[in-house]
Amino acid sequence: MAAERRFAGLRNTLILLLLWEIIGQLGLVAGGALPPPSDILIRLWQDRGDYPGHILATLQASVAGFVIGNVVAVAAGVLFALSPPMLRLFRGINIAAFALPPIAIAPILALTLSGMAPRVTLAALGVYFVTMTATVIGIAQADSRAEDVVRAYGGSRWKVLRLVQFRGAVPSILAGLRVAAPNAVLGAILAEFGGGGRWGLGTYLLGSLGRGEPDRLWGIGLIATLIAGLSYAGFALLSRRLLGATKAVTLNAAVPTGKDDGGPLWARIGMALATVALPFVLWWALIKLSGAPAMIAKTPGDVFTYLFLAPSAETAQAKLLAALAQTLPITFIGMVAGLAFAFALAILSKLSPRFISGFMPVALITQTMPLVALTPLLVLILGRGTSLTLWITISVTFFPAFVTLAQGLALVPRSAEDLPRAYGASRWTELRMVTIPASLPYLFAATRLTVPRALLGVMIAEWLATGRGLGNLLNQSRGYLDYGMIWSVAAVSVILSVVFYQ
Amino acid sequence: MTQPDGISLDGVCKTFAGRGRVVEALRDVTLSCPKGTFTAIIGPSGCGKSTVMRIALGLESLDAGAVRVAGEPPLEAARDGVTGVAFQDAALLPWRSVRRNIEVPLEVLGRKPDAAHVQAMIELVGLKGYENSLPGELSGGMRQRVAIARALVTHPQVLFMDEPFGALDQILRRQMNVELQRIWAETGSTALLVTHGIDEAVFLADRVVVMHAAPGRIVDVIDVPFDRPRKPPLFSDPAFHKVCDHVAEVLHGG
Ligand SMILES: Nc1ncnc2c1ncn2[C@@H]1O[C@H](COP(=O)(O)OP(=O)(O)O)[C@@H](O)[C@H]1O
Ligand SMILES: [Mg+2]
Repeated sequence: MAAERRFAGLRNTLILLLLWEIIGQLGLVAGGALPPPSDILIRLWQDRGDYPGHILATLQASVAGFVIGNVVAVAAGVLFALSPPMLRLFRGINIAAFALPPIAIAPILALTLSGMAPRVTLAALGVYFVTMTATVIGIAQADSRAEDVVRAYGGSRWKVLRLVQFRGAVPSILAGLRVAAPNAVLGAILAEFGGGGRWGLGTYLLGSLGRGEPDRLWGIGLIATLIAGLSYAGFALLSRRLLGATKAVTLNAAVPTGKDDGGPLWARIGMALATVALPFVLWWALIKLSGAPAMIAKTPGDVFTYLFLAPSAETAQAKLLAALAQTLPITFIGMVAGLAFAFALAILSKLSPRFISGFMPVALITQTMPLVALTPLLVLILGRGTSLTLWITISVTFFPAFVTLAQGLALVPRSAEDLPRAYGASRWTELRMVTIPASLPYLFAATRLTVPRALLGVMIAEWLATGRGLGNLLNQSRGYLDYGMIWSVAAVSVILSVVFYQ
Repeated sequence: MTQPDGISLDGVCKTFAGRGRVVEALRDVTLSCPKGTFTAIIGPSGCGKSTVMRIALGLESLDAGAVRVAGEPPLEAARDGVTGVAFQDAALLPWRSVRRNIEVPLEVLGRKPDAAHVQAMIELVGLKGYENSLPGELSGGMRQRVAIARALVTHPQVLFMDEPFGALDQILRRQMNVELQRIWAETGSTALLVTHGIDEAVFLADRVVVMHAAPGRIVDVIDVPFDRPRKPPLFSDPAFHKVCDHVAEVLHGG
């Protein structure tokens, strides 16, 4: 059975490759923008001298960022799990870390830091949120009955953490690392897009985009995808090795003590204010600590001055608003289209389980692909128009949304579906009564998940190709050394992502 | 000089507030278990049996009243290693072998595990040969026996057990009852057993405490007069059944 399925998978892959080869050979897509696999491989071989340097640079940054980001994330996760007030206080920072479009702060990092630091920082930021969340969830979900045993012998908070919770969180943390690993690679590549430098796959990709060599671009994309995919697979394998028969054997039925949000009104308002203020305080503190010249490094106050008080404030505002007016609609349209497409496909795939078992692996692989980093490839195929932006946005929203929805739908209990069927309901009635309502929560989850990605996708397309909107403004300001604008765009895009996420 | 009671609860009240619902789990519960005695608590599901135990273990705060374990506040008694505990669910750490699970209390108390003693505990509960198995590889009954060995490993003066044999079949349960009586007699500890088996309560205990629900309260304490050591034939003794019937009457009666 399993062997049969593997054979079918192999066969489908071969058919796809063959089709690709034929289409490529005939130059059917955008006048040869999609080269046949054989050309890509030949080109890879010809370029083999160039790759080691670029791969090494990207790997160095990814690995360093991965390690640093995860150490911080696990420490923060433990802290948050032990102290819910801390978790609430840092909510603003955590959401910002999740939602900020890396491309928006890449130029800032390149300005204020030097050498590998910007790349390492973006790679670390890419992993922080995933691992931190996984740690908090893992620790919070630890078996409360086992915690009771330790506490019943007078075990301290620390003993409970060490003997039960931390070890119990390992599967969750490993799952987090698995998702985080490709993120680190993506972060490093995006930093290379935004930061210049001589080495790195991102630099290589950008350089080759200018020269219009499809087969080389595809080769680089292939290598980047391969690295990201391998890092994911490595951690998947590791967690399977480490966790054998050590899953909890019975279900824990204990009710988790609800988060007590009590306390007087002023305390709660104070907490909310502090949560919002903390990211700005951190921003300010980092600038002061970095010791970068005030010319380049702007504090929140400086940005406010630039946008509202300075003599040039009006032009700055106008430019920013014009860019927003270009960026926001297309982000919105692309996201809605991507989500709708994912929703429809997830619902339909319920009708045809064979389809989902064929498509799911593809969708899962795209999860590990540095999709947005492959924008240059799409530029080749789609040109530099609006359709490019739209397609990038749709593709970066579609895949994660589809995976979230499909996995959510798989959790719908069989009995819930059997009930209408037992009363002779039609497929459609069953969909309407069970499947669609059951999938709505996952649709909302998917929406929150994809907002930051959609914005990131649009900004990257604008930056690299279309020359419109926020992404372009960022790129231009970098050219004009308009530091105030760079910081403003970064701040606005982070705030936008956070607002949408909420 | 009088010895302090093994366990004493005095006027304990406890309410849980959650999701707009308030549950009066315990109302004015007073119970004292003299040192070296065996007490069983029996009552319908949700009447607060587990809550009594959790309060005596210091796992749950109380709204009113006082609790002493071997003359000390519960948490101090726990830190001194006075107590041993086995919960309804085995609550084993899934990544630790049988032996390492049994060593958990020693580790928490900062004592050095005595390999021979741990081995003796494993053999006592009939798990010889499974020392290095993981909980996932054991049956429900075997896991529960690990939990009992874990409760005994610290030589506790006061032993708390919350439906420890709930997951065992009737035959194994009788065996474990006999074993438990032997162990308890050897160690001279004070034992508090929460159970829903009337025969088990009567066979093991010096006194059976009957609780009713809503609010959780003690309605009667029934003395069990049989001599020790009690042997399995007692289970079919008419006098034994008379006591059981009496307990059942109090349990189900108004
Ligand atoms: N942590 C808790 N939060 C809210 N209610 C609880 C909690 N623990 C127990 N209760 C409630 O207290 C009552 C007594 O519970 P428990 O002591 O577990 O009963 P028993 O062990 O006799 O079945 C039940 O109504 C239960 O729902
Ligand atoms: Mg109970």
